[in-house]
Amino acid sequence: MDNNNLFFHKSVVYGLSGLLFIPILATLIYSFSSSWGATMLPDGFTFKWYTQLLTDPRFLEAFGRSLFICISSLILAMVLVLPMIFVVFYYYPALDKVMNILILLPFAVPPVVSSVGLLQLYADSSVQLVGTPWILIGTYFTIALPFMYRAISNSFTSINLRDLVDAAHLLGASTTKAYLLIILPNLKKGLLASTFLSFSFLLGEFVFANILVGTRYETLQIYLYNMRQTSGHFTSALVMTYFAFIFVCTWLATRFSKGNE
Amino acid sequence: MSYVKVSQLAKHFGDVTVFEEIDFTIEKGEFITLLGPSGCGKSTLLRSLAGLNQVDAGEIWVDQENITDTAPQSREIGMVFQSYALFPNMTVLDNVAFGLKMKGINKAKARAEAKSMIELVELDGKEQFYPRELSGGQRQRVALARALVVKPRILLLDEPLSALDAKIRKSLRLQILKIQRELNLTTVFVTHDQEEAMLLSDRIFLMNEGAIVQQGKPEDIYTKPVNEFVASFMGHYNLIEAETANQWFNLDSQQKVAIRPESIYIREAGRQYGDHISVAKQGTVLSHQLLGNVIRYSIEVEQKALTVDLLNRSSERLMAAGSSLELMFNLNEIQPVRA
Repeated sequence: MDNNNLFFHKSVVYGLSGLLFIPILATLIYSFSSSWGATMLPDGFTFKWYTQLLTDPRFLEAFGRSLFICISSLILAMVLVLPMIFVVFYYYPALDKVMNILILLPFAVPPVVSSVGLLQLYADSSVQLVGTPWILIGTYFTIALPFMYRAISNSFTSINLRDLVDAAHLLGASTTKAYLLIILPNLKKGLLASTFLSFSFLLGEFVFANILVGTRYETLQIYLYNMRQTSGHFTSALVMTYFAFIFVCTWLATRFSKGNE
Repeated sequence: MSYVKVSQLAKHFGDVTVFEEIDFTIEKGEFITLLGPSGCGKSTLLRSLAGLNQVDAGEIWVDQENITDTAPQSREIGMVFQSYALFPNMTVLDNVAFGLKMKGINKAKARAEAKSMIELVELDGKEQFYPRELSGGQRQRVALARALVVKPRILLLDEPLSALDAKIRKSLRLQILKIQRELNLTTVFVTHDQEEAMLLSDRIFLMNEGAIVQQGKPEDIYTKPVNEFVASFMGHYNLIEAETANQWFNLDSQQKVAIRPESIYIREAGRQYGDHISVAKQGTVLSHQLLGNVIRYSIEVEQKALTVDLLNRSSERLMAAGSSLELMFNLNEIQPVRA
């Protein structure tokens, strides 16, 4: 009976995952086929679409822009969040509750609403921000914040922060040295995992990019959107390339979050 | 002047007094235990000695130097924490060498000194291990080595054994004592375990509710408790009302008296007792607990239940509930105590 049950469980799991994989698999096959119209099977296979995509300077530029924006906002987030969490946890532990509410705000407001709000706010600004990558970096920073704060604050609770800093103080280290030599290395895991997670999330972001910047600074997702009228094979190749990239990021994230033991 | 002198030390958290009017001196090389129930302020007092807590009033002097407002970095005081507080990202060797590195001692010399300290705590061969790969007892020994390698003027131990299991605890406390004697270290140890305190200390400072209620040698604190709290904390003392005690023992006491359970005898036929062991009282066994080497009887004497400890010499002597017997009291061991 146990075996029967196991078989049932397995078939449900594999069946479902198979079902979910069909569209991805179809896209993959489609991206490799020369043409696939009225027939059951594609007429032939080719790397044409991938070659075309990967040699398209517009794609490479868009990809580069996306990377630039994501990495900049993540660096900004790291530089601001790491010392902030240390201050919260070491000096004002009571603030953690407030922070937990604050960091949820970017998610509480739907992107469409907040992007319109941001447009209104910065449209009349004396500094031209709307339509430039800088506003996107700022916005992406707020989106990365919850991921980063959560993961890093988890790392903080898993170490005995106060005792570690006290021990370092008694051994002659200043608070800055204690932070750099002891606390920071112990946050590495949480930091890396959350960085990769927010990175893959931000790379796929479309709403903010489209409304705040649009075609004036074409990111990967805007490029994909603009290419929707071209060959389906081409966009399939684009989607698959994007998938592969995200997959590698996710894999790296899980690897780092498991740690190096 | 004493090596360590603390006078009128006080600490408050808001309206709550953690400790007040703390006065004591410690000689060089002494092993002192701050003993008391949880929440009595002993850990906060220890942290204040280390400079991890600011005090509101009073002074701390070490080696003729007023360190009351000195930063923890420059106090030259070492500390071992209950949570070990080892740096998880560093190997045993790097953990131990950390303090030397902060002093700016060159790498080769720091490594050599760290290694010899690791040998002292008998962890040679574990230099390249990470704290997570060690057992609790080993971790605490690394923490000890890390605190000792910088040659602190005082070593503070904040319940270092509480997180360990009984067997490790027993061996580690002897090892701590051995190292302390070897290095002639002035040591302040915090614990809530009176057995640990008596075993290790040259002197015990017994704390309750933010004050040192009694300080002295372990044997004095154990046999001459000054008040009811000390009596009940240090042992299973029987506390007897002044009136009853005066009547039983022909005393003239205004205070309650405390009698240790092991100083009461159960009269054996044909045995001679000394002159000071005289007063005999009829009693009835209520119950007994077998503690291994000791049998703890609860015996009723004139409606008063007394605890009497007897060495468990042979199982034939075990007295069942309801047995009648006669108790003998050692008059020298009857201790008047304040409330």
